[in-house]
Amino acid sequence: MRAARAPAPGRDGSDAVQTIRAEDVTALYEGAKFYSPAVGDANRTWLTSWTSQLLDRNGPVVLAPPDALPPATTAISLCIIGSGFALADLPPAGDEFALAVERVARLQRVRFEAVYPLAAATVSAFAPVVAASQLGVPLVDADGMGRTYALIHHTSMHLAGVSPTPLVVQGPTGESVLVEVLTAPRADRVLRANVDTLGGWAALAAYPTTVGTLRRAALPGTMSRLLEVGRVLLAGGDADGLEQRLALVTGCRRIGRGRITGLEHLSRPTDVTIPTHPSSVVVDELSGRQRQLRLELRSEVVAVLADGELVAAAPDVVNLVDVSRGELATLDSLEPGDLVDVLVSPAGALWYSPEALAMVGPHSHGITLEHPGRR
Amino acid sequence: MDTRPRSTGSAGVLLTPHGTAAALVVDGRPPVPVVLPHDGGSDPDGAFRAVAAVAAAERVRLEVVTVDLSGLLLDAVLHGGPSTSPTVAVRVVPRASTDPALERSPAAAVERLVVQRFTVAGGHDLLGHELCPLDLSQLGLVCEAVRRGGFRHLAVAAAGSPARPDHERAVANAVQAAVPGCDITAGSEFGGQGLAAREATAVLNCSLRPLARTLVDGLEAAAARSLPGVALRVARGDGGHLLLARAAELPAAALGATDAMELRGAAHLAGQDDLRVVLRRPAGAVCGHVRRGLVVVRTGQLPGLGTELVVPTAALAPMPAADVGAEEVAPDRGAELTACVGAATSRPTSWLDEVALIDSTAELERVRDEVEQRATAMATANGARPGTAHVVDLSVVAVPYSPSGTVRIRVRVVGERDIAARPEPVRRAS
Repeated sequence: MRAARAPAPGRDGSDAVQTIRAEDVTALYEGAKFYSPAVGDANRTWLTSWTSQLLDRNGPVVLAPPDALPPATTAISLCIIGSGFALADLPPAGDEFALAVERVARLQRVRFEAVYPLAAATVSAFAPVVAASQLGVPLVDADGMGRTYALIHHTSMHLAGVSPTPLVVQGPTGESVLVEVLTAPRADRVLRANVDTLGGWAALAAYPTTVGTLRRAALPGTMSRLLEVGRVLLAGGDADGLEQRLALVTGCRRIGRGRITGLEHLSRPTDVTIPTHPSSVVVDELSGRQRQLRLELRSEVVAVLADGELVAAAPDVVNLVDVSRGELATLDSLEPGDLVDVLVSPAGALWYSPEALAMVGPHSHGITLEHPGRR
Repeated sequence: MDTRPRSTGSAGVLLTPHGTAAALVVDGRPPVPVVLPHDGGSDPDGAFRAVAAVAAAERVRLEVVTVDLSGLLLDAVLHGGPSTSPTVAVRVVPRASTDPALERSPAAAVERLVVQRFTVAGGHDLLGHELCPLDLSQLGLVCEAVRRGGFRHLAVAAAGSPARPDHERAVANAVQAAVPGCDITAGSEFGGQGLAAREATAVLNCSLRPLARTLVDGLEAAAARSLPGVALRVARGDGGHLLLARAAELPAAALGATDAMELRGAAHLAGQDDLRVVLRRPAGAVCGHVRRGLVVVRTGQLPGLGTELVVPTAALAPMPAADVGAEEVAPDRGAELTACVGAATSRPTSWLDEVALIDSTAELERVRDEVEQRATAMATANGARPGTAHVVDLSVVAVPYSPSGTVRIRVRVVGERDIAARPEPVRRAS
């Protein structure tokens, strides 16, 4: 069983140039949570407040599809590498994103004329918006993941042969690290220890390229889709109605509704290649076949098993909706007894190729079962 | 006529800027609303006299009265005025903000309480590793500015302080030495995740302390007149309660108590431990939950405040939501009476929310035991009878996108009321 085909991004007209204004920031935050439910709300207010004030002060950010910009336009991706928890406890001084871009620009002796998200999800979705506002450049409506993956070479750009380096991480301590590696997978390994030393998170500027390259190497329309998902989530209502409206934008479907009966942690040895310990959430379905759903977590939900059968797995996007609140449940807020809907949305079609599945599919997380879409 | 008490009971009293409410609760009997004088304002004297009179009439020996001060405290914050104290905010991070929007609290209500802000270089990461030595020369300038400004209230919040409060303590010690008697709240007194939330909580707490002390003194004096020998407690935002002395020092823990007490009271009146409660609010209905007799809480925002806090409060969601397959009640006795019932039946609680690095199951057990012991000690300090505090909620969640073994541990502890501990001396930190 494979998640339904994702509706093409841009179905609301996102093939045209748009703007991101201060009043869009709450939708940006909610949409970013959908594509990465790992993010909690500990730093929601200051992050949205800061970004809103930047957009008020500097004016709206132009959100341009790759086709709307000249192909020679130089562009660089941005994200927040590390932990959202660390970011909440050690807020940015404010110049980290622009400094990271400027340091790569100085090294390459170019001026970046646009920025784009490395991952249009989680707090990382804010990084390119902030940088675009501070640098006065457009934001390309395309990214490298269309969700989040744990490692920075898990991108469509890497699959298209674009190097992530030279890259710079700029930490909240004021320190920075320039990384140049021989092969893309080395970059993350080199970075992790540095990010921990910088305080647990850092602004990352990587994949310097041109918009012409992004037209073939990036996933188009993912920022405008994220904003649209955010607006759906903000509209609220009951869980059933919310999920129906989300399905129109994301192609999501409900796997089951049930109560959380268990949260298991540290049940298996640590996988050294992927940050964080494996853990599990057990949901007992309330109706229908009354299956036991087991969600395998790394930094995101990477697999869902129903009575032992794999029914969804990375790269699918798996979300939980808190039924009683009619809103997304973030992974750090789950408690036994919560009534949740388990939703699965398809990732971009690119991620279901054999090469991409080998990189981000269930096997990469130590789950030795075939992705449901390949059986 | 025999007027000797036939049973024991407890009372809940709600003090708000708009008046008071009270109820008497005796096991196995419907709660008795206490009729209060209309012009009583928020003076506890009238409320306590009325409670004592009703208890006597019902032939109930009162053991404990729990007072909800959260309405008075939040009103002071939201509407300003002389009851809050201008507070200096000191933030300890490796670098000062380059954007003024990041320098301030996102909440105007919190920022109004701040008379001056300083940043001192320093701070730790989530796991307690020092990121930057504390800048002692900057700290000296801060001390001098506080002394020269004649400021008497200071809140300090440092990055990573729940794991390592050294820099906050160093700031507090230096300021205390420079300005003896300065009233200081440190963010690590509350723990929790997020520097902005911790700083906002510390500022609120520091600014509200003088008001809280005045209120607590008033409660003690009123109780001495009308309720001699009755234990007094203050309602917490998590649906529990704490001792007067603790409330005087940690008023932030009392914020948001009314919502939690209304949920708790509704569950008590319904005679159920697991249910969804619909609360009527001017802006529309909201719902909250009670599970296993405890109000479901989160660290989040209080309505109207505009920033997250690190103290837990009732998790409320706008209605409508789907049928959740649980019992649902909408209190029909009035929000104030229901909240008073909740306060009367509350118990001492504590809550900890921490991050730790563990490398084995044995290490996890050790860390969990240590957190449980501290939370248990806190619940006892909040008024639990020794030996009765026990863990009712414990979650250990891997922290995403962090080094392997980084976990968030949240623990909630509840105890039985220690009514034998009365009368309770109020301690003062300064």
